[in-house]
Amino acid sequence: MKLRPIVVALMLAASAGAAQAGQSCEQKPLTPQALQRGLELALQTQAALDAAHQRDGTRVVVLARAGQDLSAHGLRHSHLGWAYRWPDGTWRVLHKLNDCGTAQGQLYRQGLGVFFLDDLWRHEAAWVVPAAELQAPLHAALSAGERPLRVHQPAYSMVSYAWGTRFQQSNQWALEALAAMLEPGVTATTNAREPAQAWLRFKGYQPTRLTVRPLQRLGARVGTAHIAFDDHPNELRFSDRIDTVTVDSVFAWMAASGLSGPVQTLALPATN
Amino acid sequence: MFRTRFLHHTLLAAGLSLSLLTTPAAHARSEASVAVSALPVASLVGASAAVSAVTTVPLALSAGGAVLVVKTVELSAQGTVWVLERLSDGARASVRLSSRAAGATSVGVGTLVTVSLTGAGVLLSAAGQVLAFIPNAMGEALLANEQVTR
Repeated sequence: MKLRPIVVALMLAASAGAAQAGQSCEQKPLTPQALQRGLELALQTQAALDAAHQRDGTRVVVLARAGQDLSAHGLRHSHLGWAYRWPDGTWRVLHKLNDCGTAQGQLYRQGLGVFFLDDLWRHEAAWVVPAAELQAPLHAALSAGERPLRVHQPAYSMVSYAWGTRFQQSNQWALEALAAMLEPGVTATTNAREPAQAWLRFKGYQPTRLTVRPLQRLGARVGTAHIAFDDHPNELRFSDRIDTVTVDSVFAWMAASGLSGPVQTLALPATN
Repeated sequence: MFRTRFLHHTLLAAGLSLSLLTTPAAHARSEASVAVSALPVASLVGASAAVSAVTTVPLALSAGGAVLVVKTVELSAQGTVWVLERLSDGARASVRLSSRAAGATSVGVGTLVTVSLTGAGVLLSAAGQVLAFIPNAMGEALLANEQVTR
């Protein structure tokens, strides 16, 4: 049954918060098909990244998955992280995850299998390869680990304001980590997020502007610890506009600015 | 011997979960890593860590589609050990799951288990559910999971 968003918002608003929060954290039995497809996507992605490494020395990519159907917003992928080559020749993804049912997020370093063993909306990987001259500094920063951590903010909202520092969603961390890894001045200050965002503005990054109606805001906010809107400027929030960091906006900006090559995708055939 | 692990983090990928805002609640897709948290990673009993995982897979688990029966279930502080026997020829293998992983499933003597082979390891399932996943060396890397900040 297809419901209109406003109906959904009312349903969400009327439902007990814990139930809604619990739904997103629900433990579901893992089917053999889901496990095999997640691992297959991971293996094929690994093979593609290995091939890129063999071809041109690629050691770092910005890697995305499609955990959500965001097509209503014109978006294709939902979540990204930094994938980089490990000393043993395998790959790890450094990314931010929200601790279930809380307004906190932490950074994790995971294998490709874990990255794709999610309840994916679509079994498709997407990535951009940072420019050749950026590969070495990015790989060094990811391997050392300190600089990308400097822009990590545990306070989490999944629709956090792109130019705010009160909350930080995962794609926002990944984007700010790019600034922290490439611009030495960013990590020279106490609050590294502000200079990171200044660098991103200077480089021309533009977040995605989403239209979120008041009832939708209310419905999403009630009882969900990990969604907040009050970090957004009033003039935007009260005119139903939410500026936040999305995979698609990051990919488009990186490619257009020459920071990376074009978006590459790898999808498993759909199943019924 | 391979280390028995159970990936127990229940996480939401902190990505943009706008499904709450736009899609029917019944169809809402979260970024929760529930699949990973529900993955019972197991190990082979008697396998040597000095030998590659691929070569240590016992005969009983070497063919996809094979059906095995659970002969014994042994509980211990280190977890649960199942002794499995292939129906076609009686070949046996022992698999250990951590206590927590084993607790997620109800496997008793006589349960029929199906073997599936993947590039990342051996999958044991029954009644449409994953009972255990035994990663090979590649699978170990794919399932690496480390919390960096706290």
